[in-house]
Amino acid sequence: MIKRISIFSFLMTMLVSTAFAPRWLFSVSSGSISFRSDAPMELIKASSNQLKGIYDATKKQFAFTVNIKSFSGFNSPLQLEHFNENYLESDKFPRANFEGKIIEDIDLHKDGIYTMRAKGNLTVHGVAQERIIKCELIIRNNVVSLKSNFTVLLADHNIPIPKVVHEKLASEIKVEVKADLIEK
Amino acid sequence: MRFKPILSFCFFSLFLVAQLRAQDTTDIMGQLEKEMNKTEKEQTYYTTATFKTTRLINGHSVENVGKGVLDVKISHRFGNVNGGGYQFFGLDNATMRLGFDYGITHFLMVGIGRSTFEKTYDAFFKLKILSQSRGKKKMPFTLSYVPTVALKTLKFEDPARKNYFSSRLFYTHQLIIGRKLSDHTSLQLMPTFTHQNLVLLATDPNNLFAIGFGGRQKLTKRVSFNFEYYYQLPEYKLQGTTNSLSMGFDIETGGHVFQLHFTNSPGMSERTFISETTGKWEKGDILFGFNISRVFTIGKKH
Repeated sequence: MIKRISIFSFLMTMLVSTAFAPRWLFSVSSGSISFRSDAPMELIKASSNQLKGIYDATKKQFAFTVNIKSFSGFNSPLQLEHFNENYLESDKFPRANFEGKIIEDIDLHKDGIYTMRAKGNLTVHGVAQERIIKCELIIRNNVVSLKSNFTVLLADHNIPIPKVVHEKLASEIKVEVKADLIEK
Repeated sequence: MRFKPILSFCFFSLFLVAQLRAQDTTDIMGQLEKEMNKTEKEQTYYTTATFKTTRLINGHSVENVGKGVLDVKISHRFGNVNGGGYQFFGLDNATMRLGFDYGITHFLMVGIGRSTFEKTYDAFFKLKILSQSRGKKKMPFTLSYVPTVALKTLKFEDPARKNYFSSRLFYTHQLIIGRKLSDHTSLQLMPTFTHQNLVLLATDPNNLFAIGFGGRQKLTKRVSFNFEYYYQLPEYKLQGTTNSLSMGFDIETGGHVFQLHFTNSPGMSERTFISETTGKWEKGDILFGFNISRVFTIGKKH
């Protein structure tokens, strides 16, 4: 009996210790996200430097978020207004998120250039899509510089394009993310 | 015997640990959200798009055009619908106003216009004094001030008598208090003061007061229902005039806003529709009108 109890307690200590293990966290010190819509009649570019994110290196989990209202650089004030009001509906869906896990094992202690894949849910306009997004990491002196290019299909996120702007708005939006992460 | 409580304690602990771990997977997003909430509280978010354009129907909305944006407005008001088939329900007669609005900054816009109705020129500026916002700076409504001067260039009725240039001038001062209640609903109140140097009757007051009330309800993302009513204070109105009531729709297509409406006011400058409307809705003195707004961006990057 005593033996069994001790096994249990051992097991428990193990579990508890993993649950409360110190986490190795990184957070975004400076991050930007930009997008471009390249349509036959118009090129629209906008960006935000208010990208925030956390990476838990012990669990290889990450979460990134950006406030939709922080985007600027549109061709006209009206375009900015329509972006918030008609397309992204930023009052209803104030943020875009990407959260998930890193597929590859990367030693963040070692300086170098790495390519890795992040698998998770990309939520834009309140619609989550499971995505695997490739990114490039440059690690130098405990600073992780991340760069990633990917595309977002407006239709995937329930953002319809009215017929009158078909020539002015691309259905596929190119997104670029740049961020520096430092240990917390 | 002694063993059982220990066992149940172990299971309970295991359950607890499992709970903790489950929380842990979403923990990171939660932590990030907490941080975001904190930083967003430190920022001020100004309400945008309270109305689709700078005019509600006849009168001003709290909305300004953006900085460096030119808004060309072409407006028409047709004749009374109760003119019947002979007048093609009013479409035989039309008055129009051609206007240009320009945004100097995001809180100051200027505009000029020319109406065929009484050959009137008008000029105004619209200053946003307070801007509805949330976040660090909280403001429940937007407050704008719009002074307008109108110049009636219609020939004097009696050229024989001594006529003064000042008799052609009309001044309107308007405060607009507006609030976007939700994504779909916006309301505004417009206390208005009008001064005219020359009035028709000796008993007519030179200073006129009216209180406007209006709003919009979005029906779809790009279509809204608008209404606008100006109540004239009985002691400060011209004899025989009625209160202006208008309702209609805004239809937005990219850079254009089409406003289609029914109103009892044929005039398109403040003093004409607020203080010189004579039509009565109940008698069918309703006319159809539309405004077309097209914006051109002159400044860069927004």
